[in-house]
Amino acid sequence: MIEKHLLKLRARDTVSPEEEQAIRDSIGEVRTLAADEIVIQAGKVLTFSILLLDGLMCRYKDLSDGQRQITELHVPGDFADLHSFTLKRLDHNIMTITPCRIAIVPHANLERITERLPHLTRLYWFTTNLDAAIHREWEVSLGRRTAIARVAALFCEMKLRSEVVGMTDGNSYALDLTQTDLAECVGLTPIHVNRTLKELRERGLVQFSRGRVTIHDWDGLADIAEFDPAYLYLEKWRL
Amino acid sequence: MARYYLHIRNGGYSEDLEGQELPDLDAARLAAIDGVRSLLSEEARQGQLDLSGSIEIADGDGKVLLVVPFREAVELKRDG
Repeated sequence: MIEKHLLKLRARDTVSPEEEQAIRDSIGEVRTLAADEIVIQAGKVLTFSILLLDGLMCRYKDLSDGQRQITELHVPGDFADLHSFTLKRLDHNIMTITPCRIAIVPHANLERITERLPHLTRLYWFTTNLDAAIHREWEVSLGRRTAIARVAALFCEMKLRSEVVGMTDGNSYALDLTQTDLAECVGLTPIHVNRTLKELRERGLVQFSRGRVTIHDWDGLADIAEFDPAYLYLEKWRL
Repeated sequence: MARYYLHIRNGGYSEDLEGQELPDLDAARLAAIDGVRSLLSEEARQGQLDLSGSIEIADGDGKVLLVVPFREAVELKRDG
């Protein structure tokens, strides 16, 4: 059940059998959710964190005129809100994009991990720092990158994050987003995303259709995005 | 709600295969205008504006319901 989560952690550090068992024991219940379901409402006091087992989720904020900014996507193996363990309530919402399966991890169980297992605690600290690094990269996109570079950067990021949890098929992977979702990730409009996808396709770099990304020219795509995977901290390190 | 397809014509043709669920044609027109402004804002940053394009709003059968010229998305003010 937590295999993808373990893949994500073990890509960065070792996880001992004792730590693995502690993670398994920390799970309260497993829930199945429909697509487009708000799972966490901003401001609500939280007593658990959500580990995504299957599906695609996002963190987002809405403006009063209906505009939405998705601030991070979550793939299976990610905690969607490990930060709620210390924040206790969130400043943003979390919703499902596709149907999802999630594990509920009560904060009391996470507290026990922090008391008993300092190395696993550091590893979880690392993963919230990783989320922060991803947010910084999106900030660079939203503030400075051109439309084509924003979309290219997102496709590069999601390729590597999917790869870590064994969810790519060669140069192709599932990214079940509509053009509207995509626009909400990269701060554009669906029309602008449509034209940008056409340009990426015509340059022979990447194809996005029916929720699937197929990268034809990784180097070209990474080049346009100025994509440097350093911010994903993919190498193993003893924390 | 209905599904509207917002195709872009500006030199080339960028077909909208996916469409958007919107309340009515008026909302689709606003989505088209918002989209054009987004396209033009990037062009403006690169120092050129091409207002010759248009958005074709079509229904699920491919019937064009409304054409929104790029010009309708912005008010141009020249010197003075």
